[in-house]
Amino acid sequence: MLEKALSSIKVLDLTHYVSGPYATKLLADMGAEVIKVERPRTGDPCRNLGPFVADNPHPEKGLLFLYLNGNKRGVTLNLKGGDGKEILQALLRWADLVAVNFAPSTLEELGLTYEEITAVNPSAVVLSITNFGLTGAYRDYKAWDLVEYALSGLMYIFGAHDQAPIAHALHQAQFRAGTLAGGAALIALYGSLNGASVSAHGSRGNLVDVSVMEVLSASLRDTVSQYTYQGVVRRRTPRFGRGLGRTVAAADGYLIPTMTGAGTDWDIFAEFLGAPELKNEKFATQEDRIRNAEELDQIITRVFLERTKLDLFHNAHAWRFHFGVVLTPKEVSESEQLHDRGFFVQVDHPIAGRLTYPGASALYSETPWEAMIPAPTLGQHNQEVYGKLLGYSTGDLMTLRSSGVI
Amino acid sequence: MALPLEGIRVVEMGQLLAVPYLCKLMADMGAEVVRFESCTRLDPHRTTVFYDNEADEQFYNKAANFHDQNRNKLGLTLDLSTKGGQRMFRDLVRISDVFCENFTPRVMQNFQMEYQDLRHIRPDIIMLSSTGYGYSGPWGNYGAVGPTVEASSGLMHVSGYPGSPPVLAEIPYTDFVGAEHGLFAVMAALHYRARTGHGQFIDLSQQASQVAIAPEPVLDYLTNGRDTPSGGSTEHPTMAPYGAFPCQPERQVPGRGEIDRWIAIAVKTDQEWEGLLNVMGNLAVSSDQRFADAASRWRHRKDLNERVAEWTRGQDAFPLMKLLQAHGVPAGVALTNRDMLFDPHLKERGFFRVIKHPEMSGLPTIPYPGIPWRLREAPPLPAHAGASLGEHNRQIIVELLGWPEGDLASLQEEGAIGWEPVSYPRPNPVGLDVLLRQSRIATYDQDFKERIAREYGGQKL
Repeated sequence: MLEKALSSIKVLDLTHYVSGPYATKLLADMGAEVIKVERPRTGDPCRNLGPFVADNPHPEKGLLFLYLNGNKRGVTLNLKGGDGKEILQALLRWADLVAVNFAPSTLEELGLTYEEITAVNPSAVVLSITNFGLTGAYRDYKAWDLVEYALSGLMYIFGAHDQAPIAHALHQAQFRAGTLAGGAALIALYGSLNGASVSAHGSRGNLVDVSVMEVLSASLRDTVSQYTYQGVVRRRTPRFGRGLGRTVAAADGYLIPTMTGAGTDWDIFAEFLGAPELKNEKFATQEDRIRNAEELDQIITRVFLERTKLDLFHNAHAWRFHFGVVLTPKEVSESEQLHDRGFFVQVDHPIAGRLTYPGASALYSETPWEAMIPAPTLGQHNQEVYGKLLGYSTGDLMTLRSSGVI
Repeated sequence: MALPLEGIRVVEMGQLLAVPYLCKLMADMGAEVVRFESCTRLDPHRTTVFYDNEADEQFYNKAANFHDQNRNKLGLTLDLSTKGGQRMFRDLVRISDVFCENFTPRVMQNFQMEYQDLRHIRPDIIMLSSTGYGYSGPWGNYGAVGPTVEASSGLMHVSGYPGSPPVLAEIPYTDFVGAEHGLFAVMAALHYRARTGHGQFIDLSQQASQVAIAPEPVLDYLTNGRDTPSGGSTEHPTMAPYGAFPCQPERQVPGRGEIDRWIAIAVKTDQEWEGLLNVMGNLAVSSDQRFADAASRWRHRKDLNERVAEWTRGQDAFPLMKLLQAHGVPAGVALTNRDMLFDPHLKERGFFRVIKHPEMSGLPTIPYPGIPWRLREAPPLPAHAGASLGEHNRQIIVELLGWPEGDLASLQEEGAIGWEPVSYPRPNPVGLDVLLRQSRIATYDQDFKERIAREYGGQKL
């Protein structure tokens, strides 16, 4: 077996739900050694999120949990109890990276602040993911994804002009925070391991304070600049002008037609669509097309309804126009492109069974991504981690178990 | 103390968003990013959103998108179709750690700039190709932009309003999602190289990145055979009340538009529900048995959302948010871009990177969105404006590559480098009044320069 990219990195994963587990999943999939800590009995609340295998809400059959926690070893530990502290400290000393996504006040209650962690392990890099960051006026605000979309600035510009603004479905903000948190943690570790960012007091530790809100606020393209450059307050845009870069209906579904790709030659675009009425100086430039958006819209709508979405999609690319096609989950799951790249992977799980999961976002030439080990059942690796790694005896473990520590 | 990526040199052949955003994050963390671009095919980000909405003869150095995505990078012009350009590129790769590009495989093959070509020049090079669908496969040469991948990843299918066509986010969403995964991949490869001395090729697919972070409907199909219907994203599968609720709009000067105001409220737990009831103080709602538990609230979500909307309508959004949060209710105002710039939280966290543009640029001091994390142990992050076209040609060619000074003139003559675009028509931006009439913007402030100067300092123009 080839060596993995991150096989030298040890991660103590104290995170739950989506954002933190996705960050540590990215690390684990590239070979980092991840120990996931869950609370005894109930475990990570992500275990209770659907969809479930055969719609059975069983804590070992939550598909999101199973997807997020492969390649990790799982232990249980009561972080609040006195006896749990000793084990926690041993785990903190073991780790290169300590990942947390508790609210700031909870981190203080649990004794898991940066200062407290680096008092135990001065060279630890601490990765914190919180809704709004560890500082600032909204530090203790509560949020689900929807609220992040609102405060980040993304919601106000998302949706129909004359309706309430919206957010994406699912857990987009949490997932994206996890993605960047994984990268930012590797950046801090890189500095720490290669000697660049040794702190003022001489230790190699660092704190990475990721804000979910800022993940969205940092990625609004020119939204902020439209105000700083022009004084423009943006909003959701009206229904007309949907000709390009917006949703257009085909006979059997939807497309996102764009002009990018084959230069910006409007006549070629008209030719590809077989719509000579578009070869009109009213539509010649981008600015003209904005000025005459409504009329353009009507023509495009009519032309598109005559053809199927995949016919238009593949044809557009033959002409080198960058079109998008709205795919359903079924169509994504059966996508020839994703299958050709070996995107979907199968993993056996002792309770959930053999299931297929989405795989890697990138193919690596030297350190291939492999999904090998299923997500841990609750407390599956207590014996292995506490016994073999930390040296607790079987008797110790029985005592800890009966007192509810693990 | 140094920034973590100091000493890492990145060559960027990027345009628009995905790779420029990825490399911006690395530049902010201390990497030296040499970005090269062509004078004959301007980066589209140099051609839109100009200061004061005016495109003068230096428009390509005054475009907002360009400065936003390319701060703290060195700017080189380089035409790959020339011999000199090819030699420059290869010499650059020889002294670099990472090469990132977001062109189609077709382009990379034509110029013999694929990984197997570059590893002969620099054996431990890390090369990232960022494409819409991946470097291989039947769609490998299909070009893409953010919105098109949002569609083909399945995310769009489940986003929008019930009973209406799916809706795109107003930004090239998956470009960012791809860049975020690309950053992780490059960092993983750098760790591997530090340990083994080996570089590698990273073939990043934006489509795969987006599917990886929107897995629920795909998992449901793969496991249970259920193809999630396109029901929009205005409702949540378990939470109620849930959504954006209307508040008192903010009037502008008559005829200058209106800021509609919305507060997002999402209630999951009984505790959050109790908090909401306490703030609402509405006996009819709190005693309504249909709203007694979470499951029942969700079943009657339509009625419940209407009750909440009746209550929020006419209220001031910001005090309402504070009050709800004080009672433990997840609530947030849908901030406008202007709100963001004056938001107390973002200000306290120092989110915006305030960049003082060089005097000759004609741009003042401007705040730009920063990065979504803070490092506790790090010096202040750099704050240099995006490079004007060809700004660092001499520095890179003479000082970095060590070519004789005299080569600059011959390279320019050959068309390998330049300092201005070749025959690009000056854009003719649509007036803000037209955009306002079409309701494409909410409003525009004539005093925005004063407002920004007051908040962020710097001279106003």
